[in-house]
Amino acid sequence: MSVLVLGAGGFLGLNTVDALLEHGVQPTCGRRKRSNVLGLRQRKVPLVVADLEQQQTLLEAMRGFSTVVHLAGHYPRLSTQPELSLQVAQRQTRHVLDAAAEAGVERLIYVSSTATVAARADRPSDERDLYARTPGFGAYHDLKWAMEQQVAAEKRLRPVILCPGACVGPFDWKAGTSAVLWALKGGQCPPHPDGVVSWVDARDVGLAIARLVKSSLAPARLLLAAQSLGFHQFIEATAARYGVAEVAPALSAEAAIALADCEERRVEVEGGRPRISRELADLIVHGPRVDGSHARALLGFEYRSLPEALGAFDAWAQRLGVGLSTRTEVDAR
Amino acid sequence: MTIPDAKWESRMMELIAEVSVMKVSQIKPEHRLREDLGMDSVCSLELISMLAEEFGLDISVEEAAGVNTVSGAIAMARKHIEAA
Ligand SMILES: NC(=O)c1ccc[n+]([C@@H]2O[C@H](COP(=O)([O-])OP(=O)(O)OC[C@H]3O[C@@H](n4cnc5c(N)ncnc54)[C@H](OP(=O)(O)O)[C@@H]3O)[C@@H](O)[C@H]2O)c1
Repeated sequence: MSVLVLGAGGFLGLNTVDALLEHGVQPTCGRRKRSNVLGLRQRKVPLVVADLEQQQTLLEAMRGFSTVVHLAGHYPRLSTQPELSLQVAQRQTRHVLDAAAEAGVERLIYVSSTATVAARADRPSDERDLYARTPGFGAYHDLKWAMEQQVAAEKRLRPVILCPGACVGPFDWKAGTSAVLWALKGGQCPPHPDGVVSWVDARDVGLAIARLVKSSLAPARLLLAAQSLGFHQFIEATAARYGVAEVAPALSAEAAIALADCEERRVEVEGGRPRISRELADLIVHGPRVDGSHARALLGFEYRSLPEALGAFDAWAQRLGVGLSTRTEVDAR
Repeated sequence: MTIPDAKWESRMMELIAEVSVMKVSQIKPEHRLREDLGMDSVCSLELISMLAEEFGLDISVEEAAGVNTVSGAIAMARKHIEAA
C-alpha cells in the first residue's frame, strides 16, 4: 500500500504518521524546503519535496502513490486578508487536485474542518449538513468551505473528505488550537466568547485516517468530533486542571469578534500572537453541535476522552520543556 | 565526521540570516534567537531542522526546542558533529 501524506510534519500530520506506522503502513511524507522535519526524521520515514505552490513538485512526489492524504490545506492564522487567503487556498487546492489526477492517484483523503458544517436547530449536525453557500462569517470559514467545494466537485479522483473539530493533542508546533491550552497552562485565561466547541483528540484523527487507508471504504464525507460542549464550560474545566486562579467571564459574540479583529490588526504591525484569533472567535460563535458517531461506527473506534487528550498534550508539552512562542504568519502579498 | 568548524559555523550563520531579520554580519553568538533575532519557536525549530538536514545530524525535537541562543545552537551542532 503506497501512501503519500502532505503536511506530514504538522500537528495532524505527525499524529497521522504515527497512526499509519502503528497500522503497519509506512507513509512517504511531503515537506517544503524549510519545513521542520525533526519529528519526521525521528520516525525514520521517507521524505519528498511536495510544495503546494509548486505543482511540478506535487506531480513528481505523487507519481506511483495510490493514496494521498492531504493535511496541508491552507490554514492562515490571521483573517485580515480574506480575499488573498481565499486565492491562495483555491490555487493550492487546484494544484493538489490536478497533480493527483495527472499522477494517477486513486484515492485522495482530504482533511477539511467542521467550519464547513452547518448548524441545525433540531438535532446535532452530521455528514449531511454542509453550508449551501459560503458561510460569510470570516476568512477561515469561507476558505475551508471553498476548498471543500473544490474537492467535492472533483470527478477524476475518489475524494474522501474528513471534517475534524478542534483538535487537542501533541505536536501542535504552530500553536493553532493549542494556543488556548498554552495560555491556560501558563496561568492565563484567554478572552473568549461562549458558544459551542466540538473537539477531537488529534490522535483519533490520525487513527481515522489510518483506518480509512487500510480499508476500501470511500465515504464522501465524515465528521470527526468526540463531544460538543459549551466553550466557557471547556475553558472552566481546563482552567481547573491547570490551576488557573481566575476564569474570565465569556464575552458576547460581538465583543469577541471585535476584539479578535483588533488583536489581529495589532499583530500584523507588532508581530506576536493575537490574544484571541478571529478564526477561534468565529468557530466558537458559529460552532454547530456535531455528531461524530457515524465515523466511529464506520471505522470501528471509540473517541478518546478529554482527560486523555489533555494528558497527551501535557506529556508532549513537558517533553518540550518550553512554552511555544509563535508569531502569526501573514499570507505573502 | 570531519567538517571544519569555520565551514559549518559560517553556513549556520547564513541559515540564521535566512530565517531571521538580521544580516550575517550582524549576528553574534550571544544573540538570543527569540528576543534578539525575532524568531518564534516555529522559526527556531525550522532553523535547527535545516541545520540537521544540511549536516546529516540526528537531533530530537525536544533538544532543538531547548536551544535559545546562537551559541547554544553552535554548541548543540558541535556536539552532534563530533559524535557522528
Ligand atoms: N488543528 C486543528 O485543530 C484543525 C481542526 C480542523 C481542521 N484542521 C485543518 O487540518 C489541516 C492541518 O492542520 P494542522 O493543525 O495540522 O496545521 P499545521 O500544524 O500548520 O500543519 C500544516 C502542514 O501543512 C504544511 N504546509 C502548509 N503549507 C504548505 C504548502 N504550501 N506546501 C506544502 N506543505 C504545506 C506545513 O508544512 P510546513 O512545516 O512547511 O509549514 C505543515 O506540515 C489544515 O488544513 C487545518 O485547517 C485543523
